[in-house]
Amino acid sequence: MTAILGRAFLLLVLTLYTAFAAGPFIWAAMMSLRTTTEISNSHFGLPLPAHWEKFPQAWFNSNYSVYFANSASVVVTAVAILTIVGAMAAHCLSRYRFAGNRFVYFLIFSAIIFPPQITIIALFQTLVNYGLYNSLVGLTLVYVAVQLPLTVYILESFFARIPGDLFDAARMDGYSEWSIFWKVSFPIALPALATTVILNTILLWNEFLYAVVLITDEAKRTLPLGIQRFMGDQLEDVGMIATGLMIAIIPVVLIYAFFSEKLIQGMTAGAVK
Amino acid sequence: MATLTLDRLSKRYASAREVAVSDVSFTVADGEFMVLLGPSGCGKSTTLRMVAGLESITSGDLLIDGARMNDKPAKDRDIAMVFQSYALYPHMTVHDNLAFGLRRRSLPRDEIARRVREAAAALGLDQLLQRKPHALSGGQRQRVALGRAIVRHPKVFLFDEPLSNLDAALRVGMRGELAALHRRLSATMLYVTHDQVEAMTMGDRICIMENGSVAQIGAPLDVYAAPADTFVATFLGSPAMNLLPATLTTGGSALQLGSQSLPLDGPLAAAAARAPARDVLFGIRPEDLRPGDAGASLRARILDVEPLGAETIVRLCPEGLGSEMLMRVPRTFSGRPDEIATIAVDLAASHLFDPATTRRI
Amino acid sequence: MTRSSDRPPWGAIAVFLLPALVVYTALTAYPVVRTFWNSLHKVLPNRPDEFVGLANYATLLFSDDTFWRSVRNTLVWACASPLFEVGIALLLALALYAKVPGSRFFRIAWFTPVLMSYVVVGILWVWIYNYDWGAVNALLRLLGLDTWTRAWLGKPETALPALIFVTTWMWTGFNMVVLLASLHSLPSEVIEAAELDNCGWGAKLWHVIIPLVKPTLLNLLVLSFIGKMKIFDLVWITTKGGPLWSTETVSTYLYKRAFEWSTFDLGYPSTIAAVWFVIIMTCVLVLTRVLRTRDRLEY
Repeated sequence: MTAILGRAFLLLVLTLYTAFAAGPFIWAAMMSLRTTTEISNSHFGLPLPAHWEKFPQAWFNSNYSVYFANSASVVVTAVAILTIVGAMAAHCLSRYRFAGNRFVYFLIFSAIIFPPQITIIALFQTLVNYGLYNSLVGLTLVYVAVQLPLTVYILESFFARIPGDLFDAARMDGYSEWSIFWKVSFPIALPALATTVILNTILLWNEFLYAVVLITDEAKRTLPLGIQRFMGDQLEDVGMIATGLMIAIIPVVLIYAFFSEKLIQGMTAGAVK
Repeated sequence: MATLTLDRLSKRYASAREVAVSDVSFTVADGEFMVLLGPSGCGKSTTLRMVAGLESITSGDLLIDGARMNDKPAKDRDIAMVFQSYALYPHMTVHDNLAFGLRRRSLPRDEIARRVREAAAALGLDQLLQRKPHALSGGQRQRVALGRAIVRHPKVFLFDEPLSNLDAALRVGMRGELAALHRRLSATMLYVTHDQVEAMTMGDRICIMENGSVAQIGAPLDVYAAPADTFVATFLGSPAMNLLPATLTTGGSALQLGSQSLPLDGPLAAAAARAPARDVLFGIRPEDLRPGDAGASLRARILDVEPLGAETIVRLCPEGLGSEMLMRVPRTFSGRPDEIATIAVDLAASHLFDPATTRRI
Repeated sequence: MTRSSDRPPWGAIAVFLLPALVVYTALTAYPVVRTFWNSLHKVLPNRPDEFVGLANYATLLFSDDTFWRSVRNTLVWACASPLFEVGIALLLALALYAKVPGSRFFRIAWFTPVLMSYVVVGILWVWIYNYDWGAVNALLRLLGLDTWTRAWLGKPETALPALIFVTTWMWTGFNMVVLLASLHSLPSEVIEAAELDNCGWGAKLWHVIIPLVKPTLLNLLVLSFIGKMKIFDLVWITTKGGPLWSTETVSTYLYKRAFEWSTFDLGYPSTIAAVWFVIIMTCVLVLTRVLRTRDRLEY
């Protein structure tokens, strides 16, 4: 009897915590479908009727289409570059023994814990010098540099587990080092690559600090910047801000819905050692 | 098909003080099956990898059909290798694993298809061509690894302990298949193993290595019957050859084993005459001892009797001698521990070794 | 026996490594060096940098009260957060470890907050803490605790704790998932053995489970600590360091000195960055050293 009570109590606690963890999002999701007037009348009401038209409104009238396109192009390009550059470096560090291998690995690895503040001012100066300040290209390059250490770290430990015999076999089969990377290492590492792709996509999609320092132009804002600006301009328009939040959240939720395990794996990869 | 020659091949790693392989020389004749045998760390795998081109050669020459191969990259040596771990590409089907090495060699498409079909049929892989390696059993993976070498039609086949990942029953089967494959292809093969049964059953000749050097090369039974030194004598054969400390009597007509003595004649007497010192090691295989007093014999205490079924191993201590020796007898043996038995010694099958150099005298 | 060739193929190594090294050198290593260089100069736009020696450091360390205020806030945050996040996470992980129905669903649901941008999270919690209609005050009023209601982010005494609460909400699920994975990787005999020893729940937790997951716990504590030492986005979206510097962190202060205040000098903020960098790296080194020297657990 006490066992059943204990179990019920446990379930109750877990359910309450779930409400606590997910509640804010559900609240925001409901508000995103209600007008600000409706919200002012009752802040916790249900979205009845649902104002789906708020999404096209935000998309077209409040510039979210531009923010979304900017975020998407920066993130997709940066993740593509990161995947290839990171995989090549990880392959090289795990596969070849050479003088300085561990030194390079340590250099890159230690940058994982660098606080962004140590580079942000000088990055600002450097990008200004090279005309890349306030440009999506500059932001993309910075994003590659920011995520490269973690990417190499995750991939290196995966590549290191590929048995060396496979590379020897491919050499005997007549392949060059370059084609061995593309035809053997890369395809075998696809699961790990998928992990880093998803992880980098989420982290860069949410990135704020570098964007706020390196981008000022309205037409070049990424989603987090756009939301912040909208929030600043239309502080009272809670309903519309909520719609904007949902536009930023939906891609993340979609990725999470399809790849939840991969994403959890990626996010926690650095923590479990 | 080809002749493979290793001429004083040596390997020294920059980081290590010792040489890993020193002055290994032998020639594998066209169509010959040569086995490199030795305990782990003896340099046999390094030698194989130097032949393959996966490891650089510090000094010496590697020749295939008389052409020097030292500086040719692995892919240009026309050699195929079967790895201990099979090294199948996990992301490719069996078919692609077999074809991968051919695609690189700009062969016509139908030639590739023909060779893959041929090898698959020969190895019984026809039904598995669309599977990936993880969906294959150990034995099937082994066949794919073999097939990948066969389709290449290489000049030389190299094997790096290919059977050591199989369970005992499969290993016996694959041993037979490999031998059959060698007969059918009559290809030049170099095979590395630490398993003396594989070496004895499959090799045309075996090359035994110890500490990076060649200890002995020869046909399996020749090496077994006449080991060059105590290392080969004890490494080959299970249980190992008995080695007993002994002293030659003045004049060399008899061998003093503790308080007992054995008369010497024939080849053994000739060997005794060549001995540099009076202290020698007397070597005799367990199967060359038997109960009874025909010819030369020793009296020994039975320490232990281990019936193995087909045969029985008896542990003995010759009287007046501190060392033990093993005797292999039929299962009908009826002696018991602590009894004193008379053991006949087949002097024609025994050897003397120089304890200083470990070489056979 | 080496597995790879002894003669490294330098050509291939260069091709594979060069892109990463170029990116790393140009956009990570060089900026770090340039920041340290900045910190010894007065760096004004359209003017050559003027060497000032350690003057920036002297000002920062001996006469900048705002900086020390921000250091104190950041340290409070960085020390308090790990305890809450990891402590609650451990309890939740143990609850799920006890094979509750729907544990997979709980795990996925709790992990969501960490997937959201700090911008989104910040705006949500500005609303939740809203005095008039925020969820917190609404709940208090519902419970008849009207006297407890307040503008949580508007009062210097409550602003920092309120933000610490937000990061705890955000990161607990993440820590829980890592701990749960660690618990699942333990050999179940160990925990069953404790079952047989018939020790109480608390004793089992303290003497068996915590020592076993200690390496993971320590890792998470360090990770959480470092994360809070860098925190910027959440503060910037919610309070911008206010009210009255009560939520100013080193990162927000640095940002203000570099890009908001009209001093235009990049040298002084670079000094903040350099000092804070050294402090963070020292903390990481000390923490990992202290935690690693403990002998590895055997079970």
